[in-house]
Amino acid sequence: MDAVNNSGEDDIDINIDDSDSEEIPLTAAEVIERMEEAWLNEKFAPEILPNKSEIVDCLLGQISYMEENLQNLSSNDFQKSLHQMEVDRLRFIITSYLRTRLEKIETYVFSIVKNEEERSENNQLLYLTDNELQFAKAYKGSLEQHFEELLRFWPGLGPDDWKKDPVVPNMSSFVFAKAKSAVEGVMLDEANDDEEALVDLQSGSQIIISYNSISQLVKNDEVCLI
Amino acid sequence: MSAEKACALVKELHRNQGTLPPYNNDLVNEVTKEITQLIQENRNDAQESERSRGSDLLEGVSYISTIRVRHAAIQRNLRCLLAYHYNRVRSLRTMRWEFGSILPADIKANLSTAETNWFSKYSSILAKYMRSVGEDGGVNLAVDLHPPKALYIEVQCLVDYGRYELSDGSVLLLKKNSRHFLPRVECEELIRQGVFQHIVI
Amino acid sequence: MSLQSYTPNYFSIDDILASQERCPCKFIVDIPKLGRLNPSAESNDLKAGTTLELPMWLAEHLSAGRHPIIAVELPRIYKEAYREILKADACAVDLHKLGLYFYEHGLYVKQFDARGDVSKILLETFQVRFRQLMDLANNIGSDPAVQDRLDSLERKLFKEGHAARTRLNTWLTDSGTPIEAAAMVINHKKRKRVDVEDII
Repeated sequence: MDAVNNSGEDDIDINIDDSDSEEIPLTAAEVIERMEEAWLNEKFAPEILPNKSEIVDCLLGQISYMEENLQNLSSNDFQKSLHQMEVDRLRFIITSYLRTRLEKIETYVFSIVKNEEERSENNQLLYLTDNELQFAKAYKGSLEQHFEELLRFWPGLGPDDWKKDPVVPNMSSFVFAKAKSAVEGVMLDEANDDEEALVDLQSGSQIIISYNSISQLVKNDEVCLI
Repeated sequence: MSAEKACALVKELHRNQGTLPPYNNDLVNEVTKEITQLIQENRNDAQESERSRGSDLLEGVSYISTIRVRHAAIQRNLRCLLAYHYNRVRSLRTMRWEFGSILPADIKANLSTAETNWFSKYSSILAKYMRSVGEDGGVNLAVDLHPPKALYIEVQCLVDYGRYELSDGSVLLLKKNSRHFLPRVECEELIRQGVFQHIVI
Repeated sequence: MSLQSYTPNYFSIDDILASQERCPCKFIVDIPKLGRLNPSAESNDLKAGTTLELPMWLAEHLSAGRHPIIAVELPRIYKEAYREILKADACAVDLHKLGLYFYEHGLYVKQFDARGDVSKILLETFQVRFRQLMDLANNIGSDPAVQDRLDSLERKLFKEGHAARTRLNTWLTDSGTPIEAAAMVINHKKRKRVDVEDII
C-alpha cells in the first residue's frame, strides 16, 4: 500500500547527489527505500554518519504534499485512513532518524565538533548539516558555560581533562551488516598478528562484525547495517 | 583528601537514577572548599621548596611527593564535581524531551539557578533546530516516538485536564476517568506527559 | 536514550565509582605533612614502608611515571586463593560479595599484575558466568537469589537482556506495545505519591 504512488507523481524531480557526483532521478519508492536504509544505518552505527539531508528534505516535501491531498478526502473514505497511516509511518522514520543523530551529537559533542572542523579545514565531505552543526556548537557552548560558571571559585583553574580526552563512540562494537554488493578483502579488526584475517562478502550476505572493519563500506553504501 | 565528599555527590546521582534529586549546594560548596584548600597548600609547599633550594641548605625538605598526592586529589575532586553537574544536565535534557519545555514546579525547585538557565537555553537551542528542519516550518521531534500501529487508540484520562482542542477544531472535555477513542497523533504527547493512559485490549 | 561509550568517559558515574574501590599500597618514600592519610598513626609525615588501602584513582596516579612513590599490591579478591575458587566453579561464587565492581575494578588491577593472571581470570570468569546470565535473563520466573550474586556489570547485562526478552514476548503475543508515559514523568508521579503518604 503505497500512498505516494497514488498521489499521482511517480517520478519526483529531485536529484540526489551521489558519491560519484552523478545526478540520478529517484522515484518516490526509491526515496523511501533510501530513507529507511539511512535510518537503520544511523541507528546501528556507533558514530555519526554523513548526513542524508537531501533524502530527508525530499521526503518531508512529499509528506506535506500527501497531507494536503488527504485534507481533500472525506473523512469517511477508507483510503484516507490507509494513506494517513503511511504518512505517519514515514514521519516516524524521519523523526527517529533525526533524533538518533541529535543524541549522538549531544553525547559526543566535543569530538564531533572537533572532527567536523577538521573535515571543514581539509575540504572533506561534511557529516553534519548546517543546522546540526549550529545545534552542536550551541549545545557545546551551553555545557562549557555551565562548567565555567561552576569553576569560577578558583580563577584560572583549567581542568581540561574532559576537553583533552572527550567521550568518543566505541568504534569496535559489533554490528549486524549486510553486503549490498560483493566486497573483497574486508580487514578484520584486531587481527594484526594474523595476516590471513580478511573476509570476502558476497552480495546479500550477512555478517556480525566489528564496526571498525566496515565503517568505510557503510559510508560508501556498499554495506548496510541491519 | 581522598575526595570522599566529591564521590558522595556522584553516589547521590547513582542512588537516584531516573529522577533528579535536589541540587546539593552544601556538598558542592564543601568540595570546592576542599579543592581551594588543596591548591593553596600546594602553592605554599611549592614556594617553600623553591626557597630552600635557593638557600642551598641540605635540610631543605622535598615536597614533590606531597604535592603529587594533593594534585591527584584535586583532579579527582574536579572530576567528581564536573561529573555531578554533567549528569544532572543530561537528566534535564531528558526531561526537556519528556515533560516539554515547562517543568513541573516541584522539579524546578530541585534545580540550581545555573541549571534553570541551562534548561531554558537548551530548550531554545532545540526549538531552533526543530524549526530549521525541512522547508516549511520544521518538524516536532518530541512526538512520533514509536512506530505507529493504529490510527485510533483508546485512552483513559487520569486527571481533570479541562478543555482540549483537537486539530480539526472540535473541543473535548477531559475529565478524570473518562474514556476516549482518539487519533493517535492527537494524544501521544498527553500520554507521555501522564494525562492519558493508553488502553490496550 | 542511553547512549554510553565504554571507552574512557570522564563523566561516567560507573567508572568513578569503580575507581573508588581500594587496593593495598606500600609507600616507597616519605610523604611530608600527609600523615593524615593514615588514620591509625598520629605523626605529621607519612613514613616510607607504610601500607595503606588507597582508592584506585590515587593508586594509579602515584604508581605511574618514572618515579613511583608507592608499590601497588593485588587486592585479596584477585589473589591466587580467590582465583582458584573462581577457576573451580565461577558460577557458584557470590561476585556481589567480592566487590560491587568485580570486573571494572579488575580491569584497573590487572595493570599491576605483570604475569597476566588477573586478566585471564577476569575473562574466564566472565565466559563461564555469561551462559548462566543468558539463562537468567531469558527465564522470567527464575530464582531471585541468583540475581543478588551478580556484580554491577552483570546486573546491567541482566537488566538489558531481561528487558529485551520481555519486549520480544510482548511483541509475539500482543498486537502492539502501549504508548507509555515518559520514564521521568512516571518517577515524578511516584515521588508525589510518596510525598502525599508522608503527610498523611
